[in-house]
Amino acid sequence: MLSYLLFTLTIGGIYALLALSLNLIWGGVGMVNLGLAGFFAVGAYATAIVTGAGAPVIVGLGSALLASAIVGLLVTYGTLRLRGDYLAIVTLGLAEVIRLIALNERWLTNGADGMSGIVAPLRSTVGSQAFNLGYLVFVSAVVILMWLLLRRLDHSPFGRAMKAVREDQELAGFAGKPVLRLKLQAFALSAAVAGLAGALYGHFQSYISPDHFQPLITIYIFLAVSAGGVGRPAGAVIGAYAVVAFLEGTRFVAELLPGVDPLQAAALREMLVGAALLLILHLRPQGLLPERIQPARKTRP
Amino acid sequence: MTSFVELLLSGITSGLIIGLAGLSVTLVFGIARFSNAATGDTMTLGAYGALMGTSLTGSLLAGGLIGLAAGALSAILAYVLVFRPLQNRSPISSLLASIGVAFFIRAVLGVVFGHDQMVFQMDLVRPFRLHGVRIQPNDLKFAGVAILTLALVFVVLHLTPIGRRMRAVADNPLLARVSGIAPRPVMFTLWAIAGAVAAVAGILLGMKTVVSPESGWDMLLPAFAAAVLGGIGHPVGAVLAGVIIGVAQELATPFVGFTYKIAISFLVLLLVLLVRPRGLFGKIEGVR
Repeated sequence: MLSYLLFTLTIGGIYALLALSLNLIWGGVGMVNLGLAGFFAVGAYATAIVTGAGAPVIVGLGSALLASAIVGLLVTYGTLRLRGDYLAIVTLGLAEVIRLIALNERWLTNGADGMSGIVAPLRSTVGSQAFNLGYLVFVSAVVILMWLLLRRLDHSPFGRAMKAVREDQELAGFAGKPVLRLKLQAFALSAAVAGLAGALYGHFQSYISPDHFQPLITIYIFLAVSAGGVGRPAGAVIGAYAVVAFLEGTRFVAELLPGVDPLQAAALREMLVGAALLLILHLRPQGLLPERIQPARKTRP
Repeated sequence: MTSFVELLLSGITSGLIIGLAGLSVTLVFGIARFSNAATGDTMTLGAYGALMGTSLTGSLLAGGLIGLAAGALSAILAYVLVFRPLQNRSPISSLLASIGVAFFIRAVLGVVFGHDQMVFQMDLVRPFRLHGVRIQPNDLKFAGVAILTLALVFVVLHLTPIGRRMRAVADNPLLARVSGIAPRPVMFTLWAIAGAVAAVAGILLGMKTVVSPESGWDMLLPAFAAAVLGGIGHPVGAVLAGVIIGVAQELATPFVGFTYKIAISFLVLLLVLLVRPRGLFGKIEGVR
């Protein structure tokens, strides 16, 4: 039971990082990244490959950040001048293509069998129970750090410029903000955070396969951010833990239902997730913690 | 050379299916003004509807019509329950909602029918040869049905009063409104057509390959790519682009392998957005 709780909380922390990544780009600049699962996968595979070649874990984490940021830059570059829908469609496709590459390039990713034996730091010396506890503390610390950083970012000139772009990018451009550069920077940053989440996931599970990066994850995170409140880092974090609690709770309920096999139970949960997203969009689009917009400082007449 | 022609023919058939899906995407985009990610799963729903209809009535044609009705009904239902209440918010809200709808449909199909692949019971027909080129009679039938469906849609769009109103709304919603065009019948017709067209695409795809709850979602990317390449909101463009993408996929198969078919659509999508974002025929859709 304890190890189940540790596991769930760690996954919650990893989802919270993904939610922070989405909140940065969606709540910040108003760009929609439907390929979150893809960036998550890029991070996980990057660190698995790099540490598999013998590099230390910290280098693995660094390469995860870098790889997903580069993929993010590449894929957004062509769509930045266009309507937001295009970016959404392109990122949606990107996640599928990344999954295809992970499935088919056996020399790099070991295909459908997945990559096992990813280094789990210190697990062999401290034992798996202590490792799980330590990893939970580590992931939670990363979440808190990232939350503080992104909250700080929100109140920085960069954050204000981001929100100006979100509200009206023509006006922001007119006011002298470098709109395209801001968008690229914000997207790369957000992709890097998602990649970091993937790397943490890889080292935690020590096994990854293309099946771990289904588009469903992206939906979970959209549910988390819209439930928590778009544009508010704290909302994203709370939303992520709430979604994990919701998923685990419905898992128990589905197991109790008579005459439902596991596959059907999984489909039922997907149904609930879809319905929950629709309900939130209708009933409380601002989320649990609505965005706080600071009033502009008074100027002297 | 013969294998090239065979790939070309097969590409045209699957391209017409992509074109139908792209037509559904582009119609919704042109009139309801958002990218409908539920298109793929409406296809799947149509295919399952046709499977059930066929086993109930024993006739493929009647089954197909039942599948078509199921697609149209589900699209209208999604409009009334989900998209209409959101229509005054940003297109991103509707796009997100359509993903919610997509997962909902897929999950319902998964609960009801399970995750095993199902096939249409169709007579096996021997391919015949024309100048050494193998031709699958079923492929010809599928292409025929697709072309018939397209013809019907274009008749509705261009030769009926409601079609003219739909095109007016697509062209300029405010001007259409002040000219006295009531939005309600236009939207209902739009969703009925979009759902039915997607269902036909799903049924044909199911007959050509297999039916599983995931089969439609995998078609979403080619459908979006077709809509964008054709010039988003441009019906003829979507169909033509679908055929181009279908042919490109088949012709690329000997080089990149069967598994990267979807990646071809992605590549087309990226290239179009980089080089000619307005697509073949469309107006430029810049930011705001």
